[in-house]
Amino acid sequence: MHLSDRITGPFLVGLGALAAYGGSRLPPVPGQQIGPNVFPMVVGAGLVLCGAMIALGVGRVFEEEAEADLAAHENPPSPAETRHGPLFGLRALIPPALLLFYVLAVDRLGFFLTAASIVLTASKTLGASWRLAIPLSILAPAAIHLAFNKLLRVPLPPGFLPMPW
Amino acid sequence: MTTAIEAFRLVAAPDVLITILLASIYGLVVGALPGLTATMATALLVPVTFYLSPIAAIAAIISSSAMAIFSGDIPGCLLRIPGTPASAAYTDEAYAMTRKGQAETALGICLWFSALGGIAGTLALLVIAPALAEVALNFSTFEYFWLAFLGLMCATLVARSSPVKAIAAMLIGLLVACIGIENPAGTPRFTLREFKGLTEIPFFRYVSENLLGGVEVIPALVGLFAVSEVMRAMVTPDPPPLPSRRLGGILRGQWELTKRYPKQQARGNVTGIIIGALPGAGADMAAWISYAISKRFSKEPHKFGTGHPEGLVESGASNNAALAAGWVPALLFGIPGDTITAIAIGVLYMKGLNPGPTLFTERASSMYALYLVFIIANILLIPLGIIMIRLATKVLRAPRSAIMPVVILCCAAGTFAVGNNLFAVACGAAFGIVGFAMERNGYPVAALVLGIVMGSMVEQNFVTSLIKSDGNLLPFFERPVSAVLAAMTIACLVWPIAIWAYRKVSPKRERMPLPAQ
Repeated sequence: MHLSDRITGPFLVGLGALAAYGGSRLPPVPGQQIGPNVFPMVVGAGLVLCGAMIALGVGRVFEEEAEADLAAHENPPSPAETRHGPLFGLRALIPPALLLFYVLAVDRLGFFLTAASIVLTASKTLGASWRLAIPLSILAPAAIHLAFNKLLRVPLPPGFLPMPW
Repeated sequence: MTTAIEAFRLVAAPDVLITILLASIYGLVVGALPGLTATMATALLVPVTFYLSPIAAIAAIISSSAMAIFSGDIPGCLLRIPGTPASAAYTDEAYAMTRKGQAETALGICLWFSALGGIAGTLALLVIAPALAEVALNFSTFEYFWLAFLGLMCATLVARSSPVKAIAAMLIGLLVACIGIENPAGTPRFTLREFKGLTEIPFFRYVSENLLGGVEVIPALVGLFAVSEVMRAMVTPDPPPLPSRRLGGILRGQWELTKRYPKQQARGNVTGIIIGALPGAGADMAAWISYAISKRFSKEPHKFGTGHPEGLVESGASNNAALAAGWVPALLFGIPGDTITAIAIGVLYMKGLNPGPTLFTERASSMYALYLVFIIANILLIPLGIIMIRLATKVLRAPRSAIMPVVILCCAAGTFAVGNNLFAVACGAAFGIVGFAMERNGYPVAALVLGIVMGSMVEQNFVTSLIKSDGNLLPFFERPVSAVLAAMTIACLVWPIAIWAYRKVSPKRERMPLPAQ
C-alpha cells in the first residue's frame, strides 16, 4: 500500500478543495461575519497548499534523513519478505474487515460466537496451529466477556450462546 | 496541609491502590510486547477507566504509561526490536551491550534511570504547573488560540518525517474534528447532509445520524494505534525468537553509574522535562534528542553504538521525565504534551477534572493525588520492573498469532463500550485503515491525533477571537503574551525552511554520514 507522493499529494489537494467547497456552502450565522464556514475553509486551503507541496517533493529531504536514521536503528529486513505474491498486501485489510464483521454480526450471532470466529480467523491468518487457535478462540472471548460484561457492565448481546455468568 | 492529607486519603483508597497495581502489570506486559506501544496500551485502557472513580481512572493511565515506556526497553535490549517508539533511539546501544554479555547492566540502566527520570519529571510537574497556572489565569481566547496552534506546530516540527507531511496530517485531523454539530455555530458540518438525496438511502442515513455527534476521539485513537498495528502484523514477518539467557543482578553497579554520569543524568532529565512540557512533543522525541545531545557532548563519542552506557543513561533518564512533564500543558490548558496525554485529557473531562488553570485551586487535592500516583508508580517501577525483566524470556515468547487476535477483540469490545454504539466499532476500523495507510506513506499519525484532539479547541478560540475582533487579524498580535506565542508559532513554521536553506548553502561534507549497516 506504499503510494508515491505524486498520488498522495494530489489526493490531499482534492480533499482540501472538497473541504473548502463544502465549508463555503454552510449557512452563515445571521448578523455575523464569522460563521461555521471559516474554519473548514482555512483548513481546506492549508491542505490544498500542503498537498501541492508534497506532490512537488518539498520536504522530501527531511523524510529521507529520518528513514536512514531509523533504518540504522532497526533490524535489516529479512530476505523472506520478498517471496510473497501480489495479493499478500491485502491481508492488512483483514483486521478492519473483522471489525466490520463484528458490527454486522454481533446482534444476530451474539458476542461469544462473533468474537470466537474473529479470534480464530485472525490467529489462523497469523499462522497459528489449530492447537493454539481453538483454545484461544474459546478462552479469549470468554475472558473479554467476563471483564466487559460482568465487571464493567457493558451490555454485550448474548445471541445464540449466552454466557453462564 | 489539609489538601495534602486529603490527597493521601484519595490515593490510599483500596480501589486506587489495586488499580495502580493492575494497570502497572498491564502496562509492563503490553509495553514489553514488540509492536504494542505505550499509547496503544493507554488507548485500550480508556474504555475501562469509564467505570472507575476519577482518581483511579487517572492512576490507571499514569501507572500503565510509565510502566509501558520502561518495558519497551526490554525487547529493544534483548531482541533489538523496540517495544515502544520511545525506546527506538537507543535500541542499538542496549543491544550492543547485550551482545557484549552485559544485558543485565543495560536493562538495569533502563530501569533505574527511568524511575529516577520519572520522579524528576514529577517534581518538575509539581513546581512548574502551579506557577504557570498563575500566568494562565490571565489568558484570553487569543492566547489560547496561539497556544493550541503552537502545540500543533511543535508536533509537526518534531515528527521524524517531512514537516510538510506532518502539517498535512495535522490538517486532516483538524478536518476530522470539524465533523458534526459541535462547533461554535451549532451547524451540522460534513455529515453527508450536504448531499441531498444521499440521506434517503438507509445506510447513508445511519452514517449521517452518527456523524452528527462528531467523530469520537477514543474509537479514532484505538483505530489509529491498535487496529493499524494488527494490520501491520498481518504483512510483516514474525520477529525472531528470543535466545535463552540467564541474567545476573539487575541493579548491581547502577549506583556507580549514577555517580559516574551525574551530568548526563541531569541533562537527560532537563531535556526530557522541556520536551515533554512543550505541547505536542513527547517521550519518543525526548529520547532521540537526548541520545543525540549525549553523543555530541560526550568525551568518548567514538564508543557510542558499541555498548556504551553513557547514551543509555541520558536518554533513559529523558523519556520517563518527558512522560510526567507532558502533563503540564495537558492539565493547565487542555493541550496534550504527547499522544498519551492526548488520551488522558479525554479521561480528565469525562471525570469532571476539566483541564484549566483553576484546576489547581478548585481541585487541589486531586492534583496532589495525581503527583502522588506518579511518585508511587515510579517507585513501584523498580520491583515490578525487575520481576518483568526476569519473566521477559517467557512473556516475549508468546506468539504474535496469540496476541494480535486478542488485541483486535479488545478493540471491538473497547470501542463499543465507549458509547454502547456499534458505529464506534466501524469508526475504529476506518481509522485503522487511515492510520495504516498514513504510516506506510510517511505521514506521522501522532500529528493527526493532535489535530483530532485539539481541533474543537483551536476552532473555538479562533472563531471566538475573530468574532471579538470583528474579523480583524491585528488583535491576535496585540496582547504581549499572545505576541510572544505568535512569534514562537511562526518560528516553528519557518524553522524547517531555515534548516533547508542552511543546508543548501553549507557544503555537503558537513552533513552527518549515514552509519554503515
